[in-house]
Amino acid sequence: MSDVIISVEDVHVSFWQNNVGVYSIKDLITLRKSPFKSKTILDGISVEVKRGESLGIIGRNGSGKSTLLRTIAGIIKPESGKVTVNGTFAPILAIGAGIEQELTGYENISMLLSLYGTHKKGGDTIKNIKEFSELSDEVLRMPVKQYSSGMAARLAFSISLANDSDILIIDEVLAVGDQGFQAKCQEKIFQIKGQGKTILFVSHFPDDVARICNKAILLEHGKMIDSGNSIDVCNHYKKLF
Amino acid sequence: MQNITRIYALSKRNVILRYKNSLVGFLWGFMKPLIYLLIFIVMFSQSFPSVENYILFALSGLILWFFFSNVTSQSVGSIVGSAGLLKAINIPSYFFPLSEVLSELFNLLLTIVVFLIMMNWFGIVYSMKLFLILPLVVLFALFAYGLNLILSSINVFFRDIGIIWGTVQPALFYLTPIAYPENMIPDKYKLVIKLNPIYYFVKVGRTIFYDSFGPSAHAWNVCIMISFVTLGVGLFIYSRLKNQFISAI
Repeated sequence: MSDVIISVEDVHVSFWQNNVGVYSIKDLITLRKSPFKSKTILDGISVEVKRGESLGIIGRNGSGKSTLLRTIAGIIKPESGKVTVNGTFAPILAIGAGIEQELTGYENISMLLSLYGTHKKGGDTIKNIKEFSELSDEVLRMPVKQYSSGMAARLAFSISLANDSDILIIDEVLAVGDQGFQAKCQEKIFQIKGQGKTILFVSHFPDDVARICNKAILLEHGKMIDSGNSIDVCNHYKKLF
Repeated sequence: MQNITRIYALSKRNVILRYKNSLVGFLWGFMKPLIYLLIFIVMFSQSFPSVENYILFALSGLILWFFFSNVTSQSVGSIVGSAGLLKAINIPSYFFPLSEVLSELFNLLLTIVVFLIMMNWFGIVYSMKLFLILPLVVLFALFAYGLNLILSSINVFFRDIGIIWGTVQPALFYLTPIAYPENMIPDKYKLVIKLNPIYYFVKVGRTIFYDSFGPSAHAWNVCIMISFVTLGVGLFIYSRLKNQFISAI
């Protein structure tokens, strides 16, 4: 079926955990004990997202939400299982992703747009970013290290949203910026949704997930313990506490 | 094509960042070797009366050394330092050590141009032979890139590498005949010098800039071999470790 845009089949991901410091240098040199041990992060996740759907991913801290996003985005390679994606990604919207503190706002915009490589061609992109972020010319000429954290978040968010890709990934970002900007971001997300694009949304706020997403999955210790209608899954999540 | 744009964007960032807030900008690339040269002249030049034209002799080794030293010290933490980007975009992590090599290569080429002009007053002989520096620089850059892959990959898991590298470098510097002529080394220590890969590149570089003859085929072959072996080892280590970078940075 061509309208399945993301398909995740029985994906397992584990990380090496550093054991150094526990063992002596002698053990390390003679390699009597491995300096790393493996820790399972995702344990057999399967999920399917159709084009135009928005999927919420919820769960406690450390349940594997961000790892699942990164695995879908191709940033982490799964140990076993299969991830198939039939579309392009916007970069993961996380606070300050890739912003270089020493560079000015403009320099960051031009670098990140080249790195993302999915932005619309044409001269309007920078103008749109400027408009959406509401940062003045003067501010954009300053190094980002002189920005307040809210201003830096505005810049990062605006650059990410300037991308014209099929799938938008949002990782815990609606909590930044002042109220006005938060409302604007939510509005933008609904607008993107309205264009028929696919959204993956990670949040700790079940109400946001229920409002933005039609489907949701609930993760616990790397396993998917619930999936389905976002309102039902969010109610299940609330009962965990 | 898109990857080329991305590597270019990263290299450009490195160049901008390196000289941000500095008054003379890229000239620092040339100032560092010059300052060392002054120290050498004060300290050593009287000790090596056998070396004719000491300034050209020392500087031809110094500019290659500083390329190596800058590029490795900037690359060793390049993967760790790019955690923000690596976690946000699906971008190969080898782009980061590679872009460090490219931006430093840009600096080296500018430095060589300034050097060649300045050396007019110190008796450099302009000839077609000087163009041989280009293939040497390419080989040296491949070697440095291989080493960068090794250092920056292992540094992800053991941050000690960055610290150790900072202390190993001065030792390597004095183990390379840059300030002093090779024939000063007593026979019993010659082996130590010959185990140092940088020695071979500096030697060919010095032949190109300083000596009246050109580098031998054997000297070229050694450089080619060192470059490709180091690159091979670097790619191997990198490919074994790369899948675990995200969890460790």
